[in-house]
Amino acid sequence: MTTLFIWLRALHAETLRLKRTLALRLVFIAPLPVVLLAAIVVWEKSAENSAVDLWDTLSKVSLGAWSLFMFPLLITLVTTLLNSLDHSDKIWKHLFALPVPRSVVYLTRLLVGELLLAISSLALVALILGTGWVLMRLRPALASGGGLPLHEILKNSLRMWLAAGFIIALQHWISIRWAAFTISLGAGIAGTFCALFASGVSVGRYFPWLLPANVLSPEIASLSLWLGIGGGLAVALLGCAAFVRRDVS
Amino acid sequence: MQTMAIETRGLTRRFGTHLAVDSVQLSAPSAGVYGFLGPNGAGKTTTIRMLLGLIRPDAGEVLIFGESLAAHRYALLRRIGALVETPSLYSHLTGRENLEFTRRLLGAPRALIDRVLDTVKLAASADRRVREYSLGMRQRLGLALALLNEPQLLILDEPANGLDPAGIHEMRALIRRLPEELGITVFLSSHLLSEIEQVADHIGIINAGRLVFQGTLGELQLQRQPMLTVGVRNAAQAQQELVAAGWSAQPIAADRLQIKASAESDAIAINRLLMQRQCEVFHLAVAQASLEDIFLSLTTNERKEVE
Repeated sequence: MTTLFIWLRALHAETLRLKRTLALRLVFIAPLPVVLLAAIVVWEKSAENSAVDLWDTLSKVSLGAWSLFMFPLLITLVTTLLNSLDHSDKIWKHLFALPVPRSVVYLTRLLVGELLLAISSLALVALILGTGWVLMRLRPALASGGGLPLHEILKNSLRMWLAAGFIIALQHWISIRWAAFTISLGAGIAGTFCALFASGVSVGRYFPWLLPANVLSPEIASLSLWLGIGGGLAVALLGCAAFVRRDVS
Repeated sequence: MQTMAIETRGLTRRFGTHLAVDSVQLSAPSAGVYGFLGPNGAGKTTTIRMLLGLIRPDAGEVLIFGESLAAHRYALLRRIGALVETPSLYSHLTGRENLEFTRRLLGAPRALIDRVLDTVKLAASADRRVREYSLGMRQRLGLALALLNEPQLLILDEPANGLDPAGIHEMRALIRRLPEELGITVFLSSHLLSEIEQVADHIGIINAGRLVFQGTLGELQLQRQPMLTVGVRNAAQAQQELVAAGWSAQPIAADRLQIKASAESDAIAINRLLMQRQCEVFHLAVAQASLEDIFLSLTTNERKEVE
C-alpha cells in the first residue's frame, strides 16, 4: 500500500511539473500540421475526382505522416523537453536527496511521457474526425464516400503508440542520461531520418524508429507491435537500473 | 554521551587519480550548528554529497543519528533536509508550486508550505514565478524546500553563496534560529571562516580532502599561540643564536624573525639573549594569532604538503 502511495504521489507531483511547459502544448499542437496536410490532399483530390473516399484518404495520409515523421519527432521533443527541466537547474541532486526511490522518479517520468504521447495520439484521432466533418460541410460531395472507419483509426493510432514504446523508452533514457539536449535531439532526428532509408530494406522492420509506421503494414503489424512493447519494457528496465546506480555530480 | 547527528568513518572518495576526500572522520553533535570549513576544492561538497547518498564513497561509512546511511537510506533521508550548492528550482513554476511539487513527493501536509514560506520570509512572493526571483530569493526558497519535511538535520552547502551583505545577514540569523527554536541540527559548509565562526558551535576544517581540525570554536582558539616578531639587524645570526638556545625562530623578512612564544617574559628573555650576542634589536612585538591566521596556517600547511 505504501509503495502504491509513493507512486501515486510521484505521479501527482509530475502533473504539477508539466504546468506551463512547451512539452504539454506540443502534445496538442503536433497533430495539427499532419491533419492539415491530409486535408489539403483530400481537398485537391476531390477537386479532380468527386468519388474520393474522404475518411479513407484523410485517415491514411494523417496516420502515415504521423507514424513516420511527426510522432517520432514529437517523442524526441517531449522526452527532451521534460527531462531538460531537471538538467537546467541540476534538480537531480534535490530529487535524489529526498526519501523517494530513484526507480520511482525514473519510471513515473517515463509513464508521464507515455501518457502525454497517448493523449497526443487521441488528439490526432479527434482532429481527423473534426477535419473530416468540416470538409464534408465545405464540400458536401465528399459525404457520399465510404463510412467513418472510427474503429480502424482508433485501433491504428493506439497500435502506433504501443509500437513507439521502444523509442519512447530509448529517448527517455538518452535525455536523462545526457544533460546536453543536443544529444537527445540529435539521436531522435537521426533515428527519424534513418527510418526513411530503413523502410526500403528487409531489416528495417526491426528498426525502432520505423516500428510505429510498420503497424500500418498488415504482414508485419503484429511483429512491430510486440517489438515496440517488448523493446520498450527492456530499455525502460535497463535505463532504470543505470539511473538508480548513477552518481549525481 | 552526546548523540552524534553525523558521524563518518574513514570516508574516502577518488575521482580518477585525484583523492577528493581522504579518510574523513566527522563527528557533528546533535542540536547545534556544525561549521564545515575549507577552501574551494577542499572536498566539502564531495563530502556533503556522500552524506546525502548522492555519490557513493570508495571506502568508509556514513552514520546519521547513529544509523548507517547505506543500510537505512530512505528512512534517514526522511529526517534530513538539504540545500546543496545552488538551489534546485523549476523556474517555470512559482515559488509555491515548487514547494507543492516537493510536498507531493514527500506526502507532507499542505499547511507546511505556508509555514516554511513564513520561516524564510518569502510568503509575499510565493506566487511569482521563480524565473523572476533574485538570487537571494532563490536561495531562501531552496532553504524552504529543505525545511519542508520538518528535518531533524539540515545540511546546507555554501548557503550564502551569491548573497548580498543583507542577504548573508538574514541567512545567518535564520541558521542561528533553527537549532534554538526548532531543535534542528545544522551542518553548514563554507569557505569563509567569518561566516562559520558567527553561527557554529563545532567546527571541522577540511583541506585537500583531509580533516585537519575538528572541535569547538574554543578548542580552535586554544591553538592561538602568541607569536613574537623581532626586528634585528643581523637576522641570520640572530636566528642561529635563537635556535641554538631552543627557540623556534623563522625569518619572515630580511630583517624580521617570527618566534613562537607564550608570554611577555619570553620577549624579555629573547631580547636579553640577542643583546648579549651582539644582535641589534630595533623592533619587538607580541601578537596573538587570529582565527583567520589559524585557519590559513591549517589549510596552507596542508596545501604545501600536497604540492
